[in-house]
Amino acid sequence: MRLKLHYWNNISVLKKYSHAIGGVLLATSLSSYANDPVEINGFVENATSIREDRGLSKFRNTLQLEFSKNLNNFAGFYDISLNATLRGSYDGVYDLNDKEFGAKAGRSINIEDQNVGSVPHGQGLGSTNPDSPYFGAPLPPGHVLGVNTAANPNSGMVVLGEHLHKTAGGVAFGVPVRPCDVDPRGCLKGYMDKSENELRFSEFNDNLDFIREFYFDGSMDLDSGTLFNLKVGKQQIVWGRTDLFRVLDIINPVDFSRNNIYDELEDIRIPTWSVAAEWQYGANDTFDDINFQLVWVFDEPRPNNLGQGGEPNAILDAGSFFRGMNNCWENGCTVANFAGGTTATDFGPNQIGIRQANVPSWSLDNTSYGFKIEGVYQDIGFSVNAFSYLSQLPSLRGGIEATNSFTGEEGVWPYLIAFDIEFPRINMFGGSLDLYSESLDSAIRIESSYSTGEEFANTLKPRLFSDSDVFRWVLGIDKNVFVRSINPNKAFLLSFQTFGQHLLDHEVENGPLGIVGMPDWKDNYISTFLLKGWWMNDRLSPQILTAYDWRAHSGVIAPSIDYINGNFRFTLTANVKFGDGAQEFSDCRTCNPFSPFTATPVHEDNNGDGFPDSYDVGLGGFEPLGRFRAGPIGMANKESELQVSFRYSF
Amino acid sequence: MKLFNKIKCTVALTTIALLNGLVFAGDGVEQSFYPYKDGFPTADKIVPGLVITKDNADIAKDVLDPEMLKHVKDGWVEITVGKSTDFILNQSYIEASKNNIGKITLPTEKGNLEGGYIAGRPFPEEPSMDDPRAGEKLAWNFQFGYNWGDGAAIDPFYWRYRNMNTGKIERELKFDFHFLNWAHRVNHEPLPEITPNPSELFRSIYVHVKEPYDVKNTQLLIHRYQNDLKRDNAWLYLGFQRRVRRLATGQVTDSFLGSDLMIEDFEGYNGRISDMNWKYIGTKTMLLPFYNHDEQALTDEFKEKDGYKFVDFHGKGGCFPNVTYQLRKVYILESSPIDGNHPISKRRHFVDAQTFTLPRTIIYDRAGKYWKSWMIGQAHPDHHLAVNKGSGVAVDDSFGMMDVQAMHCTTGQFKGIVDPNLNKPKMFKVQYLRTSGK
Repeated sequence: MRLKLHYWNNISVLKKYSHAIGGVLLATSLSSYANDPVEINGFVENATSIREDRGLSKFRNTLQLEFSKNLNNFAGFYDISLNATLRGSYDGVYDLNDKEFGAKAGRSINIEDQNVGSVPHGQGLGSTNPDSPYFGAPLPPGHVLGVNTAANPNSGMVVLGEHLHKTAGGVAFGVPVRPCDVDPRGCLKGYMDKSENELRFSEFNDNLDFIREFYFDGSMDLDSGTLFNLKVGKQQIVWGRTDLFRVLDIINPVDFSRNNIYDELEDIRIPTWSVAAEWQYGANDTFDDINFQLVWVFDEPRPNNLGQGGEPNAILDAGSFFRGMNNCWENGCTVANFAGGTTATDFGPNQIGIRQANVPSWSLDNTSYGFKIEGVYQDIGFSVNAFSYLSQLPSLRGGIEATNSFTGEEGVWPYLIAFDIEFPRINMFGGSLDLYSESLDSAIRIESSYSTGEEFANTLKPRLFSDSDVFRWVLGIDKNVFVRSINPNKAFLLSFQTFGQHLLDHEVENGPLGIVGMPDWKDNYISTFLLKGWWMNDRLSPQILTAYDWRAHSGVIAPSIDYINGNFRFTLTANVKFGDGAQEFSDCRTCNPFSPFTATPVHEDNNGDGFPDSYDVGLGGFEPLGRFRAGPIGMANKESELQVSFRYSF
Repeated sequence: MKLFNKIKCTVALTTIALLNGLVFAGDGVEQSFYPYKDGFPTADKIVPGLVITKDNADIAKDVLDPEMLKHVKDGWVEITVGKSTDFILNQSYIEASKNNIGKITLPTEKGNLEGGYIAGRPFPEEPSMDDPRAGEKLAWNFQFGYNWGDGAAIDPFYWRYRNMNTGKIERELKFDFHFLNWAHRVNHEPLPEITPNPSELFRSIYVHVKEPYDVKNTQLLIHRYQNDLKRDNAWLYLGFQRRVRRLATGQVTDSFLGSDLMIEDFEGYNGRISDMNWKYIGTKTMLLPFYNHDEQALTDEFKEKDGYKFVDFHGKGGCFPNVTYQLRKVYILESSPIDGNHPISKRRHFVDAQTFTLPRTIIYDRAGKYWKSWMIGQAHPDHHLAVNKGSGVAVDDSFGMMDVQAMHCTTGQFKGIVDPNLNKPKMFKVQYLRTSGK
């Protein structure tokens, strides 16, 4: 058994694709007996976006081809089909606006210092540059402060969060923003390390993402009368009943780098090699319909694509944070307002930052699996879902070995902002309902989930993270309303949704200098509202989509108009953000990892070792943890856009 | 002896009464299903081969509805008269109807039929102007009619959205439609109901969009219940979302995929009897689009492997099925919505007395003005696909829905197939939408 597992653990991607190729050959063989032609559909599209203060943020040209071929019956299966979707795109923004998003992006930067206003990157406290205002400042003997400016020069960078907020007394550091083949600083190997061509041609990568889908679909009638359906291959497996929010729709990771949270999930789910086996029992004396589905994602684990530092769409700006942090770890960096809460400080390599991203490789243990029971009871559609998977979101775990900036000593330092990125296993249990309310004349959709194993930043913990069980829910209501003065013949669709999230193991405390603990809200709610109308036999469809994050006090309103003429489709959208934007939280500047050098006057010696203890006393700012409070809408507050797309379908 | 004679007499009288009942029952059914056994209806100057044009339209003023007559007079369409033919429904449906004579009654209020209805035409008796609920009975006859039999498919089904002024085809959709009766079945096993059927479904319609790309894989599922007081359930699968959405009521009285039809318009009327007030207006001889498919001017625009050709369209904007009309016995029936928010004020249906299909319906807007015109051509099954021969189904074969206010129409070209193998119960489950979606 061990050997067998060992085999599974070492099966290579190449071998997996060779299986797929074998599948193609099988399909071709089968198809030789089938008379149906290959159905081919697809589209070419140009999507162009202009962003406030940044100019062109997207000039993406896409060709998508969808193939479907019916095959003859095989091994008891009928209605067998081979389905494939190929997609390739070229985003010209990296060529047409390369000063913002390409090989010429970034500049030399100054880092805020409340004593002197600001210092150039690499000239904070600890710098050996004679131009630094802190050149020659007294420091403990044996300190290893100082940026490796040869490896980390002051060029091609932006200040973390500068497009959203001023540093405003908080922490910040430089973020390299050029593609990773142009500037490898801060690029996390295997996670956020795209070259310029990989950014331009996003589907053409090691994962062969240009093969968006490639799966066999077939059915078999079992002796019991049950219909057995099997889908095998690279595919999207969609659970749940709500739009936008992924409470149950978690099987496929998502590519947020295409258009943040605003594209249809259909276009941004990352298809994975998987099996979906479904037993459709049909009706019985109790249920109108009852089905059982088993899902096994045997692909290598893939996290969400959050967008790397320098990409136009980087949700939560996490990619910038990670890239800046990895650059800090590799080369050292100047951190704004750090020492004493006011002094820009030059940390050396291997002291703070992100060391590496441990993206799980393929192994049997790392595959994902789950089941769904779905049916209809009287007038209520329902599902019960369970899924065990590796987190698609990164978890920053502290407690790694690092260098003490003030002594040069190697060790594991509690509360030190030095991390590895991990992707822990999460178990999700959930369910959904849909029903019709006669009194409201509305269709109602409900989803909820309870998950264990999710990890969150937590400055109360020595490793600066903790896990929490999470309860999520979405309530959606759809209603059609006639406004006959505007459109006498066609009702408007009103669709309202509210998403709620509750962290059961949430921790926050009031520290001497501010709130400490978990920056994520214990309870938060995001509401969406869609108003959509149709004219000209549905060929002209204006809509207004709004979303509002109630705790972040940030929202977005996106009016759009969609026009279809024959095979052509034109869509014009304004995506306008409003509200508070960035949020503040403790940044762990005052966590005192290198006691006594990093202690503040309010740190106490409770353990009696003669030094102030390590813990967070709460001095904070916008970066880096405020992003978890601002959320994806608040963090994109300065990313209002005008978006135009032309599509020709065939 | 006296007592014996009395008993004998009673038995004899009872037997006579029973026999009379059977004879009456037989007469009712005969009259309902064989209205032309003594000859087809006639009208002055309306003879096969006649082409009714704007120049001679007045000769048809008694056999065309006023709206169609106006369209002919306006030169929108010319109507060719065909020979009247018998559309005898499936014998098993006729047999089942015999059991309903004198047994099935309407409830005091709106609701479900009483008297143990199982199958067949619930009220085969001739409607009476003296019966205030005659309209409701006609509506029930349509609802439990033999439309598409126990189940059938339309595959493919081409819909075209047309500008009536320019004739420009703005959009073309390719569907497959499937119909299944869960209950009140008469022909294909299981009879009379598919079990288990815990929600007591009566009928389901499944619709799948094949083309064009932007709505490809959109699917619609409608469940109608045996309990007429229970609201229909409808679900829509959106291919671009890969999700099933339950539809609110408003969406079945809304334009379906941008066409000139609402879901409620399917087949002339697709809803609950209890959603409408029904009124019987009278019985008339009229021209309706009943014909033999293989004798029509067909188009070879769409290619089918079996050589099947679809009905062509002509007239204003290409909105009228280019088929022959024949004189038929027609019940005129009006329906007006109970819901005050309904987008229409009433429909006037011209019910074919023999088949109880709704080949012609006029729709009036909320202000009572003429809004839409519905024509659905009925093809004789014995002159259609081989699989349809002998099915006893009047095959829906072509439709035109004109919005005369917007000067826009939607036309439909059918390949109707009465084959139970194409309509298995699994297709009519919500899960099927997800499984077959993508």
